[in-house]
Amino acid sequence: MNAPNNQAAKGCVFNIQHYSVHDGPGIRTIVFMKGCPLSCRWCSNPESQKINPEVAYNPNKCIGWAECFRCGSVCPSQAVRQEASGKISLDRASCTDCFACVDACPPKALHLFGAMMSVDEVMKAVERDSAFYSRSEGGLTISGGEPLVQADFTIALLKEAKRRRINTAMETCGAVEWERLQEACRHLNFLLYDIKSVDPQKHKEFTGADNALIMENLRKIRQTFPQLEVLVRTPLIPGFNDTEAEIATIVGFVNELHVGYELLPYHRMGQSKYQFLDREYPMGEVKLAEERAKELTEYAKQRRSTHADH
Amino acid sequence: METNCAVLSPQEYRLQEEQAGRDIYTGRMRPYKILKSIQKLRPIIDVERARYFTESMKETEGQMLILRWAKAMHHIAQNITVYIDDNQLLVGRSGAQGRYGILYPELDGDFLGLALEEMPKRVGAPFSISEADAKIVVEEIAPYWMGKTYHESLTKALPDETLKLTYEPSNPLLSRYIVNETSSFRSSIQWVHDYEKVLKRGFKGIKAEALEKMAALDPLSPVDNMEKRPFLEAIVIACDAIVLWAQRHAKLAAEMAEKETDPVRKLELQDIAERCAWVPENPARNFRDAMQSQWFTQMFSRMEQKTGTIISNGRMDQYLYPYYKQDKESGALTDEQTLELMECMWVGMAQFIDLYISPTGGAFNEGYAHWEAVTIGGQTREGMDATNDLTYLFLQSKREFPMHYPDLAARIHARAPERYLYEVAETIKEGSGFPKLCNDEEVVPVLLAKGASFEDAYDYAVSGCTECRMPNRETYTSPCAYINFPAAVEMTMYNGRMKKHGDELIGLETGDPTSFKTWDEFWNAYLKQHINFLKHAFIQQHIIINLRPNHFAWPMGSALNDCCMDDMKDIHSPVIKGGIDLGYFEFMGYATVIDSLVAIKKLIYEEKKITMAEMVEAMRCNFEGKEAIRQMVANAPKYGNNDEYSDAIGKLLDRECLKFTKQYSKELGVHLDLRLVPFTSHVPFGKVVGATPNGRKEYTPLSDGSAASQGCDANGPTAVLMSNYLTKNYDFRERAARLLNVKFTPSILAGEAGTRKLVSFIKTWCDLRLWHLQFNVINQTTLLAAKKDPENYRGLIVRIAGYSAYFTDLSPDLQDDLIARTENHTI
Repeated sequence: MNAPNNQAAKGCVFNIQHYSVHDGPGIRTIVFMKGCPLSCRWCSNPESQKINPEVAYNPNKCIGWAECFRCGSVCPSQAVRQEASGKISLDRASCTDCFACVDACPPKALHLFGAMMSVDEVMKAVERDSAFYSRSEGGLTISGGEPLVQADFTIALLKEAKRRRINTAMETCGAVEWERLQEACRHLNFLLYDIKSVDPQKHKEFTGADNALIMENLRKIRQTFPQLEVLVRTPLIPGFNDTEAEIATIVGFVNELHVGYELLPYHRMGQSKYQFLDREYPMGEVKLAEERAKELTEYAKQRRSTHADH
Repeated sequence: METNCAVLSPQEYRLQEEQAGRDIYTGRMRPYKILKSIQKLRPIIDVERARYFTESMKETEGQMLILRWAKAMHHIAQNITVYIDDNQLLVGRSGAQGRYGILYPELDGDFLGLALEEMPKRVGAPFSISEADAKIVVEEIAPYWMGKTYHESLTKALPDETLKLTYEPSNPLLSRYIVNETSSFRSSIQWVHDYEKVLKRGFKGIKAEALEKMAALDPLSPVDNMEKRPFLEAIVIACDAIVLWAQRHAKLAAEMAEKETDPVRKLELQDIAERCAWVPENPARNFRDAMQSQWFTQMFSRMEQKTGTIISNGRMDQYLYPYYKQDKESGALTDEQTLELMECMWVGMAQFIDLYISPTGGAFNEGYAHWEAVTIGGQTREGMDATNDLTYLFLQSKREFPMHYPDLAARIHARAPERYLYEVAETIKEGSGFPKLCNDEEVVPVLLAKGASFEDAYDYAVSGCTECRMPNRETYTSPCAYINFPAAVEMTMYNGRMKKHGDELIGLETGDPTSFKTWDEFWNAYLKQHINFLKHAFIQQHIIINLRPNHFAWPMGSALNDCCMDDMKDIHSPVIKGGIDLGYFEFMGYATVIDSLVAIKKLIYEEKKITMAEMVEAMRCNFEGKEAIRQMVANAPKYGNNDEYSDAIGKLLDRECLKFTKQYSKELGVHLDLRLVPFTSHVPFGKVVGATPNGRKEYTPLSDGSAASQGCDANGPTAVLMSNYLTKNYDFRERAARLLNVKFTPSILAGEAGTRKLVSFIKTWCDLRLWHLQFNVINQTTLLAAKKDPENYRGLIVRIAGYSAYFTDLSPDLQDDLIARTENHTI
């Protein structure tokens, strides 16, 4: 009846996070997939954007080249440099992605974002938490990046989870081919869907992509899978959508769709990871005042409750 | 996802308000006023108990010990000062007003001289003593006990090989914290009385039982004459003693009532006088009687024996319920009055400090720790759910009354009602971490496997931090060994020696580790050291079991135990008919050992990233200048992360301990079960162990209980639970408690959704058949602030190893240890 899926296929996973309580119902395990069609300026998982494994370097963990230069001595392409600060740096242009330095680094200052894993390996890690799923109605959440960039793998993972009777959730940005999204939804108990802005111009400017497909996909999901529980979320980003007017238009769109809704206030927890990847943090020093986040959350709630549908 | 973890727990909110000069307490003011009056007092040592006990013992030399003990208790009852505190509704103290501790010179009187000098300076828990009282100790008490104490007898009896793992051979006042004995700083393991017996029958009824038995003795039998008769006589004297003590309170209350000008208090005092004349001699007539009778019993018990971490309270929501129900139905009692009486009891408990005069005892129980556990919930003797209206009042009081006594223990079972689980979760969220949880689904089958009946197993009470007692079936009270297994790792690396003790050979010479070619060779060498520790722990216990009946007797404790009364034997007798003897031994530094062995196996033998010589050298120099090696081992797999590699070694270590005790417990006639419950002793035990292969620096704390090494639980609380489950050996009945602390920030548990997730976490813990669980709901920033500014955080309660203490009562060492533990908040 339920034939085993193609478990040999491998996907690039950059983290498996246990005891997650904010991404879907109950106590969950989140599998973070690499690759994303968007490049949002506020992205808190910059390591998710590229599809392949990447070397990251955390200088705070590095014990300095005077004490240890194992990374440099194993590098076949002299891509590790000794800096005057006592720490090292990576010449990413000459790096050949052999990752020998990562394996050699004692404090794991050099580490890898992304590992190729089979469906079976991922499921084994996920099932280690299964004792908590049955009591909390939790389960597996696939996140990213955008999980459907690696659609074959993600769908295989969802199918296998269902076969093992594990509750499934997925976080998506929506900027994906409808057929793949549709296929994924067939194996989902819960969908977390981002709507960042309904203004196409602004959306393109801040995320690199138009939002027409995203909004269209959400409407289709509601029509095709009326029973699927959907939670729409909006990251509340200063300078992008942190105004009553913006929130009002998003909530207006959402209110037509019979879905759950929440705001996720901007945070800068991802900032250090940009540094580890030798990238600039696009948001600079911008902050979202806690008070403002509360006001807008309250505002969104009001706009929701005045709507008869909810 | 969340932006920060700055959600204040209710406890933090209250503190913040207090600092701003606002007292926001709106609960029952009577107990709160008493609490405020004692909260900041430094504890004093009261010498009266020791003085009258010694006076009597001088007079009775040569008689049977239980008789001498009963007479000493009678002498105390007759002479000790009795007090009635302002505002209090319950009366009965074992010493002076304020916060106080009392002395038990028969136990460890040889430490008294040392203690009087050192005690006021003690970092962890200082005490004061008046000059006049110090004089009494030095001139009257200490000299009599010199050469007679239990501690001296024990150190003389230990064979050299065992002694050098236990005490400094040249100075047995100093513990070595390797194979550590704990019978010298408490005269019993943690214990619970059958209080219900007192409430239902009164000491008059128990005395009558003893007299009846006496009348039925065979007048010609030497055993009846020389063993059973003195035992029964002692029971009669002990019953008379506690009644006499209560009557003195009745008299004092009547006198005070005469003089009292406040008409309300006058009535209260008259009521106290009438009640103390009735209980504990007679059966309780109502809820107030029952509370007073129970209180007298536990306070008198404190004077009779120094039970480990103070006598526990048993299943209060069960044995008090009939009285509560009756009074509620008749309208004689409201819930507010019930709560007020409970809180009068809690604030009474808080004043009695478990005073350890030996430095070892003090180190074991930092922050004036005591655990007079109150058990709620669980199952009835018939195996049905036991929660009742009173259960919920205990939880309500815990949420509302801002104090960490009593140590509330909630029994959880698979069919516990949702309301109970939710109220337990809500109470935990209040911020003090109470109640701690005890799992019927693990405890009951283990007790059954030891030979208990279903009804006794269902009726267990939590005792002390994690132990579970069947008050009428258990007859073993000898405190047991705490074994420093990280020291066995060190000895494997240094061929039987420890850095702290230089060239002295303390363990076995298992060979130069650089000569071990394979992991198996290394493991076998470790196992020899490991088993050698167990061997000496069991030798210690053999001596302890045989010595204690010569030094201790427990007339009232025996009177309240069915087995002792039926067999007419003091509870210290090695064999009592019908009794089940449940002892234990303690695995100290479980995660420290696992992580050390994992580092050796993986990095030296499998990946060959480090040589054994490099590892030994790194340990010798405390990893100084060896940062690369320390980082490598620090980043190896760690126990507590639901990681197969390290959990497999953990399970093997657990199993080796179980195999040993399965083989050798039987000949001792005692179940010595494996426990992972360190109190606060992982700190002093760490102070004797050099750097370990897991990257732990020398003389820093060992890992705590069954938790991950400090800061190493990178996968959150579910992983810590799973690692515990996966390292237990459920096919052995020789398993016992594992203490498990899980720390949460308030933000993770915020709101109704947070409560629901906490409930499902608890249910899963129950499914996994883990013994014990407690929570610490606090922000790390709060702890750091409290360390910097203790004056402003006096009331900050934190959970450490099975109990709560005021954070600011702890030594800086232990504060650091708490702060270092990983916070489980999601980002």
